Amino acid sequence: MVAAMTLPKQKVAMETVELSVSYNGKPALKRVSLAFPANAVTALIGPSGCGKSTLLRCLNRMNDRIPGVEITGKVMLNGEDIYARRVNLTRLRREVGMVFQKPNPFPMSIFENVALGPRLHYGLRGRALQEVVEDALRKAALWDEVKDELHKSGLALSGGQQQRLCIARMLAVQPRILLMDEPCSALDPISTQKIEELIVELGKQYTVIVVTHNLQQAARISHYTGFLMYGELVEWGETRQVFENPTRPETEDYIRGRFG
Amino acid sequence: MMNAVQSGSVRTGEWESLAARQDARRARKNALLTSAFGAVGLATVLLVLGLVAAIAYHGAPTLSWEFLTQPPREGMSAGGVGPMILGSILLMVGAFLMATPLGVFGGVCLAEYGERSRLMRLMHASVAALAGTPPIVYGLFGLAIFVLKFKLGVSLLAGWLTLTLFCVPSIVLTTEAALKTVPAALIDGGLALGLSRWQTLWRIALPYALPGILTGIILSLGRAVGEATPVLFTASIYYTTAETTLGWETLRQPVANLPYYLAEGYRQPGVVPERLIWGACLTLILLTLLLNAGAILIRSRTRRRYLW
Repeated sequence: MVAAMTLPKQKVAMETVELSVSYNGKPALKRVSLAFPANAVTALIGPSGCGKSTLLRCLNRMNDRIPGVEITGKVMLNGEDIYARRVNLTRLRREVGMVFQKPNPFPMSIFENVALGPRLHYGLRGRALQEVVEDALRKAALWDEVKDELHKSGLALSGGQQQRLCIARMLAVQPRILLMDEPCSALDPISTQKIEELIVELGKQYTVIVVTHNLQQAARISHYTGFLMYGELVEWGETRQVFENPTRPETEDYIRGRFG
Repeated sequence: MMNAVQSGSVRTGEWESLAARQDARRARKNALLTSAFGAVGLATVLLVLGLVAAIAYHGAPTLSWEFLTQPPREGMSAGGVGPMILGSILLMVGAFLMATPLGVFGGVCLAEYGERSRLMRLMHASVAALAGTPPIVYGLFGLAIFVLKFKLGVSLLAGWLTLTLFCVPSIVLTTEAALKTVPAALIDGGLALGLSRWQTLWRIALPYALPGILTGIILSLGRAVGEATPVLFTASIYYTTAETTLGWETLRQPVANLPYYLAEGYRQPGVVPERLIWGACLTLILLTLLLNAGAILIRSRTRRRYLW
């Protein structure tokens, strides 16, 4: 069992405490305690089925809806357990945004995709709303490509553009923590590179937590890396240290490509 | 098959001929099935086209502006079917206004809560059974409840209520089915954005499912407007020579309508000339075709707006 892994002097944005998840009695995550440093990119790596996506989806309670799921332990955000009773899911998800593996733009215009969140959460209209939409699209590095066709359907964009649209949609809600579940795995290499650059850029202002099965990607974009296997957190630390000087043999094997 | 080698009892040179035999078999099967399906498809289309063509052939000479707008004259033996068309449209509009909210709401409930609750599963089964219930049953129910029990009499209002009952089950089912086609990824996207369940439903799922829902509503209305039996004892009047005047009192009066006119008119040979029956028949078909065309138009427009 790995004890809570925190680095000294690093401000923590979010923290899991003894977090366990099972689906229909089958454990998927076993007592994971992990602190995510603020304003940095943390990568979660590990072989398929290791629980990294499960862990990510616990951080904004997207697992709640799955039938047969059982979650124990805590996830602390701003000194509160987000699994405590009477937690407002809307408030939680306003603060903790998420993009998915497959881009999922809504079947509406580019503008509407991004405007939906700020309109419903903050009641913005008119000029103020337009500014927020533009700002979000700029932050997602999509503005220049779509500024003349904001009324066009979000589904008319390419896969990589769609994913950046989803990122813009998330940013428009003004979250502090961004969860990304294998955001590039459905994209071509050039789109992947753009998203990676974007993640690095976002990591300066946001707390970014990225699940990836691509080790090189984790090495390129993250400051911190957590390695999971069979639902357990095996190793956690600064990315360079995890990759160059892992403390556990399983990590070393995985990183050297001996399995997974 | 250059690099195929010996494997099991198949020798190196044999792969090619084995594959050729399978290819020939596949080609034969393809040709057979293609022609079989083609023939059946063609037969279906011809059947429908033939039916419509026959009705158009007999009915078209009768069709005129006068026929479509004027009331019957000379003891139903001349004149037009204006009041019948008006009555059919009135019945349909009322049923549309009442059945749409009920049906869509029911479908939303089933789609949202359907899988988890036993009650909703029971409701789904009941609604499906109701959708398959013969229209005459609705007619008799309407007679017993609306006409007699609620003392509405044979009236437009009783017809609306009966047709509403008739339309609601199929609208519920098509709404539910349309909502179930909404990709889970879109729902997840809405929830992850912090939208509530209802906001996700209202902003994302319903717009996505809208073309399917509208098609379901229109098809259901198309079926309702052509049915004689739900309005047979609840709303219909046959013998009209006066032009209908619209007002509040219309609600409590019976209305003429095309399907009932067809049924009664045909049962009284010698009174209503055959050409009038054919004309009314064609009119009814055109009315339903118009509705279906509307459905297709709405669907393609919304689809263009949302998807392309």
